[in-house]
Amino acid sequence: MWRRILYIVDEALRTVRRHKGLTSISVVIMSLSLLMLAVFLLATDNLLKLVSETQDEMKIYVYLDDAAGQDTIEQLYKTLLTQEEVSGLQFVSKEEALADFKGQLGEDADLIAALRTNPLPNSFWVEPKPEFKTRDAMVALAERFEQLRGVEEVRYGKEFLDKFSSIVKGIYTIDIVVGFIVIMSAIFIIANAVRLTVISRQKTIEILKLVGATNPFIVAPFIIEGAFQGGVAAVLSLILLRIVTEVSRSAIPEINFFSVEKSLVYMLTCILIGALGSFMALRRYLRMR
Amino acid sequence: MTEEHNETPQDRSVIGVYHLVKTYPGQNALDDVNFAIANGEFVFLVGPSGSGKSTLLRMIYMDEYPTSGQVVVGNFVSTRMKRRDIPYLRRRVGIVFQDYKLLEDRTVAENIAIGMRITGAAPFSIKRRVASLLNEIGLYHKREAKPQTLSGGEQQRVAIARALVNHPAILLADEPTGNLDPDSAEDVLRLLFKINNGGTAVLMATHDHSFVQNFGQRIIHLRDGKVYEDKKTGLVGNLSDRLDAIRMDRERQRRVEHAIKRQRTSSLAPTKTE
Repeated sequence: MWRRILYIVDEALRTVRRHKGLTSISVVIMSLSLLMLAVFLLATDNLLKLVSETQDEMKIYVYLDDAAGQDTIEQLYKTLLTQEEVSGLQFVSKEEALADFKGQLGEDADLIAALRTNPLPNSFWVEPKPEFKTRDAMVALAERFEQLRGVEEVRYGKEFLDKFSSIVKGIYTIDIVVGFIVIMSAIFIIANAVRLTVISRQKTIEILKLVGATNPFIVAPFIIEGAFQGGVAAVLSLILLRIVTEVSRSAIPEINFFSVEKSLVYMLTCILIGALGSFMALRRYLRMR
Repeated sequence: MTEEHNETPQDRSVIGVYHLVKTYPGQNALDDVNFAIANGEFVFLVGPSGSGKSTLLRMIYMDEYPTSGQVVVGNFVSTRMKRRDIPYLRRRVGIVFQDYKLLEDRTVAENIAIGMRITGAAPFSIKRRVASLLNEIGLYHKREAKPQTLSGGEQQRVAIARALVNHPAILLADEPTGNLDPDSAEDVLRLLFKINNGGTAVLMATHDHSFVQNFGQRIIHLRDGKVYEDKKTGLVGNLSDRLDAIRMDRERQRRVEHAIKRQRTSSLAPTKTE
């Protein structure tokens, strides 16, 4: 078994070494088209992060009737907490709210002193579960909270939410369309680059078939080679992407590079694409007439 | 050679061809071809180009399947072949072509070794086998050379060594001397006889009928996809005499062709002014 593996690796390295020119051309072509894909993925990644950060801050503020007594508040607390959409709950009393407000006012805090009564109500800050932080779910939730006894008003940043969800919807649509185009063209370009190297070795394939090589023996070196090219192209495209990121950071400082895990997943995907490309390009040469 | 080719040696035959028909759209390539080749037999397959020789060879190494009829090679039967059996058939059948089909990016020794490496044989046994074959074809001193630095005859000998590397029961040669000058052709033919003496059956296709007349071997004559004649020729003189006769024939033919070509080019080419 190890002898076969040795043969396969040896053959793969041999072809890479022998066809340096062709190999580097196809690696360059691959890395450029992968760069295109990587830029897109990074943009999407940053966009999703932005959306999720914004969503993190989404809360529903439930303001209570001043008439509501301790019992009602406790009852309400239980009711809110047992809602399946709710992940967290915080009670903010009138006093806490006022202290908070004072803190925000800073120097103008004296104004508060002029008040005879505390105009701020008791409130609950409700944290919905992430999957319910959509516009429709928030609206539905808010409407249900309003019906509860002891609730005076429910606020959830309706205007912001409306605008935000329509922007996100638009961005997602563009992202999917662009993503589809980018992925298809990357696959197309890579498949052709790989096909180029396979065509150049058509004679080798023919001879291997004539002397009685089984298909796995013919295919394996090419797949290793394709995977190798994919891996090298992935690293190259990541380096290029890093440069692109650093340059564009002067314009958009919030841009983040891929995390280590995402970079690894990206590289594995590229290796897979390379291997798969080789396999697809080879298939037609292995069929019997 | 005492045994006759037509004694229906089904148990001892290395190739059996039964009622073989191959049709391509608008063309009958082979039409009811029957013959068997015994273990260790040497057979010339002759016929003009287009008579179906190459098609017949392709049927034997099962690059294509018959339209009807059957080809049997050892334990492999064309009507029962699965795609995954093909590689194992190819290891029992050595194949040599007019254009050598060597890998230019590998040395002579590597070209010969490839046939064995794909079987997963041990490196030391590959080395030993390749060395012995290199000696047999007289090219041990060129084992590290690249094929394109070799003469045509040498390249064909390398191709023959590659075909033999897995000890096949039969060697198929499709116009192996087609690209060679008379001397090299002679070398290759001598080598094929030598291999045959070692017990390997040989089936050599050639369009050159006169070339193979006098070796005392069986000749299957193919014409328009049919076996026109299947006979054993008589020996005339010794091997060297026969090869000499061929060489003279070849030389005359070459001179005539050369003269014709020169005439043609001089009548067509514009007169030089420089």
